[in-house]
Amino acid sequence: MLSKSLRAIMVFLTAVVSQTAVAAEIVELPTEELAQESVLPIFDRPVSVKNRNIVTEGKVEADVFYAYSMTEPIANVSKFGVSIYYNTNEDNAWGFRFAKNFSGLSTYAEQLNQQFNLDFKRAPAPEMSGMVDYNVKAFYGKMSLSKSLVFNTMLFGSVAGGVIKYVHKTYPAVAFGIGQKFYFDKNWALRFDLRLYANEAPVPFLKNALRVPPSPSPDPVPEHNRFQDRLTLTTNLEFGLSYLF
Amino acid sequence: MKKLLLFLIAICVIAPFSGDAQNSTNTRRVQRPKATGTAQRRVAPAKRTAATPQSAAKRQLNNALRLAQGGQFENAANALFSLSRRPELSAQRAQIKYVLGNMLVGMKLYQTAAFQFVDVIRMKHPKYSRLAIEKLSIVADSLGDDTILNYAISRVVVSEFPANLRDMLNFRLGEIFLRKNDFAQASELFSRVGPNSSYYFQALYNKGLAELEANQTTLAVGTFQTMLEGRRRAPVTDTNKVAAQVGLARALYQKKDWEGSIEAYAQVPRDTLMWHDAIFEQSWAMLRAARFRSALSNFQTLHSAYYEDFYMPESLLLRAIVYLYICKYDEMEKVLGLFEKTYGPVRSKIGSFLKATHNGTAYYDEIEKAQLIKTTDKSANLHLPYIVLRNVLEQGNVKRSMQYLKKLNQEKQKVEASMTLRSSPLGRYALKILANRVKNTKLSVGEMVKAHLLNMRVELRDLYEQAGFIRYEMINGRKESIKQEIAGKDIDAQIDDKVDRKFYIQNGYEYYPFQGEYWLDEVGNYHYLGKQSCE
Repeated sequence: MLSKSLRAIMVFLTAVVSQTAVAAEIVELPTEELAQESVLPIFDRPVSVKNRNIVTEGKVEADVFYAYSMTEPIANVSKFGVSIYYNTNEDNAWGFRFAKNFSGLSTYAEQLNQQFNLDFKRAPAPEMSGMVDYNVKAFYGKMSLSKSLVFNTMLFGSVAGGVIKYVHKTYPAVAFGIGQKFYFDKNWALRFDLRLYANEAPVPFLKNALRVPPSPSPDPVPEHNRFQDRLTLTTNLEFGLSYLF
Repeated sequence: MKKLLLFLIAICVIAPFSGDAQNSTNTRRVQRPKATGTAQRRVAPAKRTAATPQSAAKRQLNNALRLAQGGQFENAANALFSLSRRPELSAQRAQIKYVLGNMLVGMKLYQTAAFQFVDVIRMKHPKYSRLAIEKLSIVADSLGDDTILNYAISRVVVSEFPANLRDMLNFRLGEIFLRKNDFAQASELFSRVGPNSSYYFQALYNKGLAELEANQTTLAVGTFQTMLEGRRRAPVTDTNKVAAQVGLARALYQKKDWEGSIEAYAQVPRDTLMWHDAIFEQSWAMLRAARFRSALSNFQTLHSAYYEDFYMPESLLLRAIVYLYICKYDEMEKVLGLFEKTYGPVRSKIGSFLKATHNGTAYYDEIEKAQLIKTTDKSANLHLPYIVLRNVLEQGNVKRSMQYLKKLNQEKQKVEASMTLRSSPLGRYALKILANRVKNTKLSVGEMVKAHLLNMRVELRDLYEQAGFIRYEMINGRKESIKQEIAGKDIDAQIDDKVDRKFYIQNGYEYYPFQGEYWLDEVGNYHYLGKQSCE
């Protein structure tokens, strides 16, 4: 199953990267048989799709994901996470997300250390987060990348609430986002999310607290509770792999 | 405008009636001076006592007529209804009932009005019976009930019928002759409907049908083209325009002009109900024109999940036949299997229902539940498969009768909505009539449903027989293939097997390979790209 899915991912990537031209027989369809109208046929109960390939209702879906924090200046911008969702129907899903932040600092914080001897490791950094997430599956669709490759897609909105744990304290947090899944078979999907997190968080910039040797006047190591809290907004871009059981 | 028209009709009707009343009064006045002498004086009081209730009735009648003239339909109708039962006005009963009918028409109580007109016709009144026939024809036309319509039309003298209503009469007469399979007469009657009539396009369509039934295909093609030309400026989905297009395609098919027919079917707009029939019938034309790939493209649509409620056993057999032509025996097997899996239970359920059910009401109940499912999101327990009942619901006579039932219910609601009318003798009478009509119509629909089920049972039996023949051909074809294989011929060398079947997509079009799911915007846009497996 896994090798088959990996092969599908390779095919997907190949299709995205390159379009191969093949010398082929031209099957000419009579012009009158080609679509002439953009209107839809009339049925008693019209629905957009029937016999759908991706049926989520009543199913559990598990994800692993990597998140990149686009607006985080000091702490490490990366985190890994897992999530699990239960699809109550084809429109809604409820789940739990857990993410573990990478330790260390951002490249920008490293530069500040090198140039100005400011050690932001002294500032409290996020360690992990846990959230209950609600997804509304807005659109189920499909896209064709080549003549033999079709992906089912699902666009969803997300509202989450939970906590973010810093080294010294845990803060409540909410997150809003929008995401898209690309199913490359009936179980596996690539998932892309853009999320905005809002939570109280310590401000890492504290006067007379961050300078370290060889600075001429190094600061004593501050207590974490000296860092002031304020509402912080962070934009995260997440990439994940999802499996629908 | 309609009220004004009815008001004018009422005045026209009442005017001669008032005149008659006046004359009789004058007669009395002239007679009185003649009454002289003792004997006559002795008789006079007796005459007065006898005349009193009559003159009171006439006074009431005049009052009712004044109400009618004033456009107070409900008050006038109530008064006229009670007067129509008075023995002293028996001589005027035809006139009273006729005016009452007109008042009821004014109140849009067409079924109750129809009964008044039928009463007048039965009285064989020299003047009012003829007028009542005209009115009954109009009322029956708006009710759409075949029974009343046939009753009225059968009594009409065409030459005496008002010229402005003659188109309707010719149209309805044409329908009657069409049902009697007298196609020449039907066609002639439909031709008499003038181009300014609201019945013109329906008449043209029916004329085309009659010509097709009489196998006058060239004439029929001309008729449908005339109809199309007449609706040239109408919107794309105009019912008459689409009906003409389908009629033309059918006429061309009957004329064995396969390509013309295919093209005509392709012109039927997708967002119309007739498109479903068009795509199926086009597949037949494609088969006849040996355009197998195109026919199979259509079948992908017709056998999609969107058509799971459609009763189309023939289309599956047709698909199997096309596969036979291109030697796709495995596909044939699948399709025949699907036919048996789908229509086997249907056939047995129809059979057992027909065997167990003898009551017309039970048949009606089934169709009523099916209509509920069709028109709402509600579900219901059915004894017959929904695809069967849905198909029966689409039949012309059932559809018309269900429409008639709907009108009866609307009329009932109208009576019940008015407190004064509901509690009046006229209201009670109307409700009684309506209840009776509803009951009889339901029974009649039940009989229609039974007849259609019997036809379906016969049809399925025939189709099963044909499926047997097709299966035989399939086995025979397979046998021949094996024989060739044993003889050393390369049977797998399908005629175009070595050709790369990859293809380019014409600019402006998107291509999605079919992967098992059906999308509404793809229905009708499937293209079979498989290969022929034999020469």
